[in-house]
Amino acid sequence: MALRELKVCLLGETGVGKSSIVWRFVEDSFDPNINPTIGASFMTKTVQYQNELHKFLIWDTAGQERFRALAPMYYRGSAAAIIVYDITKEETFQTLKNWVKELRQHGPPNIVVAIAGNKCDLSDAREVSEKDAKDYADSIHAIFVETSAKNAININEVFREISQRIPVLESAGATSGRGFQLGRQASESRRTCC
Amino acid sequence: MALQAGPEELGEQVVEEPEDLEDQDASSISPAEEITLPVGHGGEDESEPLLLPWDRFSAWLHCICVVGFDLELGQAVEVIYPHHSKLSEKEKTSICYLSFPDSNSGCLGDTQFCFRFRQGSNRKSSLGCFLETADRDAPVSLKRDQGHYYGYVYFRQVRDKSLKRGYFQKSLVLISRLPYVTFFHSLLKILAPEYFDKLEPCLEAACNDIDRWPTPHPGRVLSLPIMGVVIKVRIPTCYDKPGTSQLVQSTQTDSQVSIVLPTIHEVDLFRCFHPVFFHIQMLWELVLLGEPLVVMAPSPAESSDTVLALISCLSPLRYCSDFRPYFTIHDSEFKEYTTRTQAPPSVILGVTNPFFAKTLQHWPHIVRIGDMKQEGEMAKQMKVRKLKNLKTLDCKTGVYSAFKPFLNKDEDIIKQLQKGVQQKRPSAAQNAILRRYFLELTQSFIIPLERYVASLMPLQKSISPWKSPPQLRPFLQEEFMKTLEKAGPQLTSRLKGDWIGLYRQFLRCPNFDGWFRNRKREMSQKLDALHLEALCEEDLQLKTQEHTEVEKVDLVLKLKDKLTQAEKNHLPVRPGTVSKLQAHIEAIILGLPKDLQGILHKPSTP
Repeated sequence: MALRELKVCLLGETGVGKSSIVWRFVEDSFDPNINPTIGASFMTKTVQYQNELHKFLIWDTAGQERFRALAPMYYRGSAAAIIVYDITKEETFQTLKNWVKELRQHGPPNIVVAIAGNKCDLSDAREVSEKDAKDYADSIHAIFVETSAKNAININEVFREISQRIPVLESAGATSGRGFQLGRQASESRRTCC
Repeated sequence: MALQAGPEELGEQVVEEPEDLEDQDASSISPAEEITLPVGHGGEDESEPLLLPWDRFSAWLHCICVVGFDLELGQAVEVIYPHHSKLSEKEKTSICYLSFPDSNSGCLGDTQFCFRFRQGSNRKSSLGCFLETADRDAPVSLKRDQGHYYGYVYFRQVRDKSLKRGYFQKSLVLISRLPYVTFFHSLLKILAPEYFDKLEPCLEAACNDIDRWPTPHPGRVLSLPIMGVVIKVRIPTCYDKPGTSQLVQSTQTDSQVSIVLPTIHEVDLFRCFHPVFFHIQMLWELVLLGEPLVVMAPSPAESSDTVLALISCLSPLRYCSDFRPYFTIHDSEFKEYTTRTQAPPSVILGVTNPFFAKTLQHWPHIVRIGDMKQEGEMAKQMKVRKLKNLKTLDCKTGVYSAFKPFLNKDEDIIKQLQKGVQQKRPSAAQNAILRRYFLELTQSFIIPLERYVASLMPLQKSISPWKSPPQLRPFLQEEFMKTLEKAGPQLTSRLKGDWIGLYRQFLRCPNFDGWFRNRKREMSQKLDALHLEALCEEDLQLKTQEHTEVEKVDLVLKLKDKLTQAEKNHLPVRPGTVSKLQAHIEAIILGLPKDLQGILHKPSTP
């Protein structure tokens, strides 16, 4: 079974829950009083996807403005980016759109983008409608999910969807692991069989 | 890597526990070379002690400095990170001068080099004990340097009209005790350009990354995330077979994701010796004998590379005298090392300031490296030049010395390398050939010494549990020389020449001293360990039955003391020895009256 390292970065405004999503995914735990990230924190988790092992090298970036300029180091070479917003804060959704723009301009050409509307457990205080966000995500061909790191909702799903969109390695193995040219269709047809 | 069932709704399998920074990534070790560490080294070293914030950082680096140029002050340390790190004023001054090229030569663009300086104040790390444990399995030449710091420099000099001086000049410097030159230079290649672009938040992020690295433990494959990439390295152990490399390139080669460093410390010997490669064998002798040697080069990059190459051509032997990959007239040891009132000291200096051509004129051996860019000129210097021909600036590349090598010149290696140059053989291959050549040479030289020293070990049967451990026999030079007739280097090397003379001089130099002291310590520890094992095999209870209470108490105290020593020095005892002896002690104590038992069970006060 081939082991592939997939660099994944999390982007989004401070306080939307990027680190909490990673903690939930990697450690399956939740801490409401997590400290703001400095620079970026790094974690890994390996999952099996079909005939491959996907080792996610996760760079959870700091949302604070003073680290803004460092972001390119983390999305450079990334196979996927998870952009997170807080469904209870409209402005975090606007920040997300800026991240999408930046990725389109400066990010890797075939990067898989996933949009995560976090804190969906707080739907009473919702400011961003699920439909608006979904429409936006569709318009940029991004994965979309509403998540709750606190209640462990849709966290693993985000990463599984990313796995699905990562093109399989050609079995000939002639080249290295970067063949993102393969379209989404190939992976979608595969989805039915699992 | 046992497969575990993942969350069911996913239908996936979680294969590996997260945050696996120290995983022995099996895919990156070639199984044939996998080394199992000998057991019985205390056995407890898998668990790291409770580490406080910045402890992990300190295991790798002392601090990071930014050195800039102030029009009024000259060079100045602008930033020290982390802010709480301590450097004395003297150390700061050293770092300032050593972080900038001191010759007039431009060095436009980015330059990397390294320096080494004496630690000013006696600073004790709270981690000391723990780091010693980590250091134990490292090869001698890769242990942390106790009295010195290394500075790894990334210097940038670019034209900038907006600045008064017309130039932007700044160095990012990593200060560490670890001699991992290749590793730190690779780290700087990632870190420094980002820093010059994005300034302090970048240092903050980098230090934060480093503070979560696993400690530099020999033998493990370490994944070190830094600023968006993961560096994978393996720190060699002293049990590795010399000349083998344990990390192999993984299939993935996207350097924006992860980088596999095949070595943490080896410099490109061929590139460094290229300008003087006709003389490599003589240089090896000079370094082996700890002769005073100065490398004069046009830039600190070249001087430091060459000095490090000289040091490393002795590997696996450790070069024991002082060496300065880049030495300036501002160095605190400048007077001490350049005085004419004494013979030049046993040190290797790398210098760039033309002033040294005069100051060190009286030195017996000078390696002169010209501008490496004019490679056409290199390697024509077949003859060793006479010292008197060495004047000042305009001197040509070459080795200036009156030294007459002990061994005959090995023409084969020269031919082999020359052929490589003609055939445009890749530098890595040339480097491998040269490294192998030096390794074989050093090993041929050292094996007879190893064999003789091993014979100084007392016989196993002379170890008695009831006597103190026997002493090593003394090293007798003539006795050793006699062994050379039958078991000399001729067994492993086809090189002819005055090996005896080479040994005679070596036995008088600091490299022998350092090597022998190290061997002696290892052997005494082995004796202590054997003694401890012998004690274990005794039926102590039976033996002590006849003795008085006072004698029993005395024995208990002595045994306890031995145990503490064994643990402190990590004696190489067989597994189980310590616990067995503990049981013995326990049994003797239980045979004593209750009040005494209470006292003896108390943890011993230091």
